[in-house]
Amino acid sequence: MEVWVLFGTFVFLLLIGTPVAFCLGVASFATVLYLGLPPVVVFQQLNSGVSVFALMAIPFFIFAGELMVRGDIARRLVALAGAMVGHMRGGLGQVNITASVLFGGISGSAAADATAIGGLMIPQMKEKGYSVEYGVNVTVVSSIIALMLPPSHNMIIYSISAGGRLSIADLFTAGIIPGLLLAVSLMITAWFVAKKAGYPTETFPGWAMLGAIFFNAIPGILLIVIIFGGVRSGIFTASESSCIAAVYALLVTTLAYRTMNWTSFVEATKAAVRTTAMVLLVIGCAASFGWLLAFLRIPAELVELMKAVSDNPIIILLMINLVLLMLGTFMDMSPLIVITTPIFLPVATAFGVDPVHFGVILVLNLGIGLCTPPVGTVLFVGCAVGRISVWDAIRTIWPFYGAAVFTLLLVTYIPSLSLWLPSLFH
Amino acid sequence: ELTLKSSDTHPDGYPTVEAVKHMGKLLKERTNDRICVEVFHSAQLGQEKDTIEQTKFGVIDLNRVSMGPFNNLVEETKVVSLPYVFKGVDHMHRVMDGPIGDDILKAFEPHGYVGLAFYDGGSRSFYNKVKPIKSIEDLKGMKVRVMQSDIFVDMMTALGANATPMPYGEVYSAIQTGVIDGAENNWPSFESSGHYEVAGYYTLDEHLIVPEVLVMSKASWDKLSAEDQAAVRQAAKDSVSVMREMWVAREKASEEKVRAAGVEVITEIDKAPFMAAMDSVYEKHVTSDKLKDLVARIRSTD
Amino acid sequence: MKSVAWALRHVARLALWLAAAGLIMMTVFITAQVVARYIFNDSLVWSEPAAVILMGWFIFLGAAVGIREGYHLSFDVMLYFLPQSAKLWLYSVSDLVVTGFGVGMVWFGSQLALSAWDVKLPSLGISGAFDFLPIVGGGVLMVLFSMERLARRAAGMPTARFGETDPLED
Ligand code: NA
Ligand code: NA
Repeated sequence: MEVWVLFGTFVFLLLIGTPVAFCLGVASFATVLYLGLPPVVVFQQLNSGVSVFALMAIPFFIFAGELMVRGDIARRLVALAGAMVGHMRGGLGQVNITASVLFGGISGSAAADATAIGGLMIPQMKEKGYSVEYGVNVTVVSSIIALMLPPSHNMIIYSISAGGRLSIADLFTAGIIPGLLLAVSLMITAWFVAKKAGYPTETFPGWAMLGAIFFNAIPGILLIVIIFGGVRSGIFTASESSCIAAVYALLVTTLAYRTMNWTSFVEATKAAVRTTAMVLLVIGCAASFGWLLAFLRIPAELVELMKAVSDNPIIILLMINLVLLMLGTFMDMSPLIVITTPIFLPVATAFGVDPVHFGVILVLNLGIGLCTPPVGTVLFVGCAVGRISVWDAIRTIWPFYGAAVFTLLLVTYIPSLSLWLPSLFH
Repeated sequence: ELTLKSSDTHPDGYPTVEAVKHMGKLLKERTNDRICVEVFHSAQLGQEKDTIEQTKFGVIDLNRVSMGPFNNLVEETKVVSLPYVFKGVDHMHRVMDGPIGDDILKAFEPHGYVGLAFYDGGSRSFYNKVKPIKSIEDLKGMKVRVMQSDIFVDMMTALGANATPMPYGEVYSAIQTGVIDGAENNWPSFESSGHYEVAGYYTLDEHLIVPEVLVMSKASWDKLSAEDQAAVRQAAKDSVSVMREMWVAREKASEEKVRAAGVEVITEIDKAPFMAAMDSVYEKHVTSDKLKDLVARIRSTD
Repeated sequence: MKSVAWALRHVARLALWLAAAGLIMMTVFITAQVVARYIFNDSLVWSEPAAVILMGWFIFLGAAVGIREGYHLSFDVMLYFLPQSAKLWLYSVSDLVVTGFGVGMVWFGSQLALSAWDVKLPSLGISGAFDFLPIVGGGVLMVLFSMERLARRAAGMPTARFGETDPLED
């Protein structure tokens, strides 16, 4: 019965349009009242859920992303991507994906990526005769790349949810090959879709122009080097690197590019606070919800259930992936990492899956969930930027979903895609 | 009939987790299935600071925690968290099994907890990736990760090292990449965290021998009959020997694994200068007459 | 109602400014820690706990402002099929539920703060109550702002929702 109170309240509130954070928080509150426990525990978990040092990476990376978008770093990266791959079939679609690789290497947020790249690319694509749906589809699905390439605050959230004993530096490194693989499979898909629709290509600007555009983008690209190099050479820790990213973005935009004035700085800070507060309130409320799940022994029972179904790791991983994809369609990423890691990680490790590998699977899987309705933050952002309805976007998005799911399967069943690169550092 | 919910941050199979399970088994037998214990291991119900509050509010009944989070709440627990206060593990056992231990257990009561038993937390020593620490001079300027606790930070400063608080999950990569030079912990944690893979020198200075404690919520305790209270207390006491046996085995297994991996273990070390450096720490933290008296009693225990 | 809305808009503005200042201070603290450790070989033990408390403040202040400005993520798909009047009723149910949760934050947050009153936080030396004050402060604003939403709706004034681009024009 307690379980019904918990999930019933949650689903009911979700359906009537209560903000997701409060659906989680109020469902926990109601269940605790029903159980006759002191309700203080709900608010204690809400508080301790957000009082975690490593979560600081979220505000910092979001702050850095805002500074990059408002301070012209993102636009220069898009220009570079344009010069590099614009002449390929599917022109601006390829540019969009490549820009997500470049931007993804400095931002950990898919929503920031969709806002930044989508905001710059979709109007251009519309102008050049691409359908808006194609632009939105490419923008939305390729923004998952930002989650896979370091730095990614979702990897940090995963490490915390796994009990804080996984090396964040290893998780960062493990996402690189899967992230690039996703980029490649999306580019191939974009090529075929563009070919069928007969989209134009851009002219190659010539090596001299490419060099000049590259020179312009160097300060932005250097951030990747600084973050990854700084973490790997021991100047700062992975979670501190997020703060350095924000400081560096501020220095580049004020001193090198001189594109940041006081008003844009204040706007960037406020925007970062808004997004962070929204994300972290969900994480805090998910902590209360997760506490109740543990208290009601739901994870333990689920593990037993899955063990009863099969003892084949391939089947188990497939089942976990399906459940995560399903959950991902109606919930947001960070709370799902917080809720599902304690449930599924023990199952996966019981079947011999490496926790770092599982983290990559989890982030990629839930990243796909960000692009799927009904609850897909990145899909919403993409549609808002392109000014089309969610329905218009998803009618033609299927090839891109296919490419992402195909990558997910490869990453799930070939552990070395994730584990080979970190093993080089041991 | 009655299920006592118990929290532990250690994983399943860890000596403290198994000890509380054993306590539950004894309790079940002795009360004819009336009272049993359910252990939530692996920090399922939260980190120690959280579960301590939950225990106070009666959300959970039993809680196995380290002394650190209690230091600023129950003054008496500070005394066992002092560096080099015990001469060794055996000395710690003699102190905690005797009247001093009983006094510390009783000190929990006014704060909403009933102290039931002390478990072993092993002895903490320094490890680092730079060089073997053989004397106090070797520690000078070294960046060593410590837990966020005033006593531990002051201890490191007094030893001339650079106390660097950092979340536990970042320590492995931080040592590996050189953000910090080392950290400190007991054999089992040094091994299970994998830190021995990146920190090749382990100096057995045993600066901290801090027992852990099993407490019960006063709210839950007061609901029990006097007879059941006695049964709970006895079962907890009886679980201690089981815990200690498992601990020794675990420590040995970890030690073998670490040594086999080629870590240089420094055992011959003159602790006198280390202890002498602690005067300032004792001066700062042993302030009340109550604490001074406890330190004196521990020191005079054989 | 108009003047209440005007006053609350300024409260929200102030809260957002404070939250933004918190984010900037946090950036300063962590940068200071990296510089002190790497360049001066001297770690700052207070930077981590201080930054965590600041983060608590700006999350709960920012989250409260989010109720007024309607930027919390919600799931409106089911509501598309309902007539406007039914939608408005359900929005009010949501706002009531959020008010209730805000009251819980204030009440139980205070209880937590009181019980941690005598605990001294390591490295900072301040009372443990500071850990829970952000919940209480954020809760007070959440109650205010969600009651404002109910009042605005009753008075026929607009309220903001996630995904809507036009801000409140009062
Ligand atoms: Na990234
Ligand atoms: Na989704």
